Amino acid sequence: MNKLIVLCMVITIWSCSENTNFDETYQPIPVNVEVPANFPDMTYNLDNNPVTEDGIALGKKLFYDGRLSVNNSIPCAFCHEQAFAFTHHGHTVSHGVDGNVGKRNAPPIQNMAFQDKFMWDGASTHLDLQPIIPITSDLEMGETLSNVIQKLKAANEYQQFFKRAFEDGNINSENMLKALSQFMIVMISSNSKYDKYVRQEDNTTLSTLEHDGLNTFTTKCTSCHATDLFTDNTYRNNGLPINPQLNDLGRFNILENPDDLYKFKVPSLRNIEVTYPYMHDGRFSTLEAVLNFYDHGMVDNGNVDPSLLRADDSYGISLTEYEKTSIIAFLKTLTDYEFLNDERFAEYE
Amino acid sequence: MLSLTILSCSNDDDSNAEDLTGQTGNLVLKFDNGVGDQDFIFGTTYNKSNGESYSLNTLKYLISNVRFTDENGIEFEITHDENVFIIDEANANNAGEIWLTLNDVDAANYTSVTFGIGIDQERYALGAEGQGDFLTQAADAGMMWSWATGFRFTRFDGTYSSATITDEALNIHMGSVGTALDNYREVTLSLPNNARVRQTTTPEVHIKADIAKVFDNTTSVNFADGYSQVHTNVETTTVIANNLSTIFSVHHVHNE
Repeated sequence: MNKLIVLCMVITIWSCSENTNFDETYQPIPVNVEVPANFPDMTYNLDNNPVTEDGIALGKKLFYDGRLSVNNSIPCAFCHEQAFAFTHHGHTVSHGVDGNVGKRNAPPIQNMAFQDKFMWDGASTHLDLQPIIPITSDLEMGETLSNVIQKLKAANEYQQFFKRAFEDGNINSENMLKALSQFMIVMISSNSKYDKYVRQEDNTTLSTLEHDGLNTFTTKCTSCHATDLFTDNTYRNNGLPINPQLNDLGRFNILENPDDLYKFKVPSLRNIEVTYPYMHDGRFSTLEAVLNFYDHGMVDNGNVDPSLLRADDSYGISLTEYEKTSIIAFLKTLTDYEFLNDERFAEYE
Repeated sequence: MLSLTILSCSNDDDSNAEDLTGQTGNLVLKFDNGVGDQDFIFGTTYNKSNGESYSLNTLKYLISNVRFTDENGIEFEITHDENVFIIDEANANNAGEIWLTLNDVDAANYTSVTFGIGIDQERYALGAEGQGDFLTQAADAGMMWSWATGFRFTRFDGTYSSATITDEALNIHMGSVGTALDNYREVTLSLPNNARVRQTTTPEVHIKADIAKVFDNTTSVNFADGYSQVHTNVETTTVIANNLSTIFSVHHVHNE
């Protein structure tokens, strides 16, 4: 009965505003999310959250709004800057409210609709729910869901945004999270030089160095950095020396399973040129440092991925200087300037 | 159209049958937490079989996918998006009962009730879809982890003691972990007498939950051996989830 009354009121309000303010009605303009030809299937079920222009607009507004944090000053974009493929430029680990410092390096936001696990340790298995972690983490945004919703309800402009984005127009956690997902779903990076090369677009060719790098990469790296997303979406321990200050146990924290000790999600390598520093704790500031680590820096911390064991019983991936140079040249072909400069994702268009 | 015809036919066959077509009513599930033959009371110390004792100051659990089966075997399920509830002892009335009033239940004579403890994989896979305000409510009730996006199926918080330990922290926050660990369990309870839902009759199903069985059951657990902090560990959460699935029973049904 109460619902009926509320519904009637909403309809009345709508009728009024239709006369005075055309913008506040739900007139969805569907956005077709295309899967790039060289990508695997999308994991996100768009049927549950059809992407619309107004949904993306709301998601973007939320993404850049500090009100999602306890002191109203740390938006998602604080640690996810577009120019750096939505990572926290130059920071080893993320910073949050009240000068708090997190434990891990902010991962890029790109091609999220193609992943089925999120965060370095897979703490979230659905894109919709992932933002709850940074929003409510004391080290990041330090806010509660109900406070965020209250603040959004109190801000006049959001009434209009939610009404345009969702049929029921409710300002609630479901719609807020769906809008954030819609914004992240369309953040697809698939137009790097490499993409155009494999899709044979614009007569794109790789240089000899880049091509040699691709060949070495295919031989030595793709058992983990698989598919054109450059990750097989598994958790692996790559033999990093343990940083006692952080003592980050990785995936172990999720299920308390000893087999998961020091395992982290295999990251995508797209836009890797701009997402420095590298590894879950940002310990390497250059790609050279990363490849040197794989060649001769790995240690046996007790649970290293067996695929990294060499014939001489040491852990690592042997790389010559030329292989390193060429792999880096190849990795730089994964930089997608269209994505990094796409105004649809920019705070100010 | 087809089902309507069939219904009409069977009504013709049995002229004594009450025609309940299109009629709905309400039904109340009364959750009554106890410990063995005692009512559950916050701060009271309860003894376990192994000599350990415990006392709780928070007692909550999630119930979902509530459905009923009638005398003809026909199942009625509460609307999916609204079919998830937080049972919180702090919301109990003076009789120690937490009332869950279910509206728009099809009129029928129900013989059993089925519900899940926690959140099933299907609902998890929907993400935010259909959650409305529930994510916010669950977060406010402390029924969500903040370090991972999962629900706590249970929140039993308090302290435990033994011959050698006094008032150590006790936190049973069992849940599923993504798709890797599924601790959702379902229970079906027969009703000792039918719950007759009518527009004018609201049956009350009195469900007893024996908290003692969470710890003393098919597998009896020792708090001192890893069961004072139960969060995501595969072994301990599975034992608690299995034990939980046997704590409920229907004591009686009022039809008034």
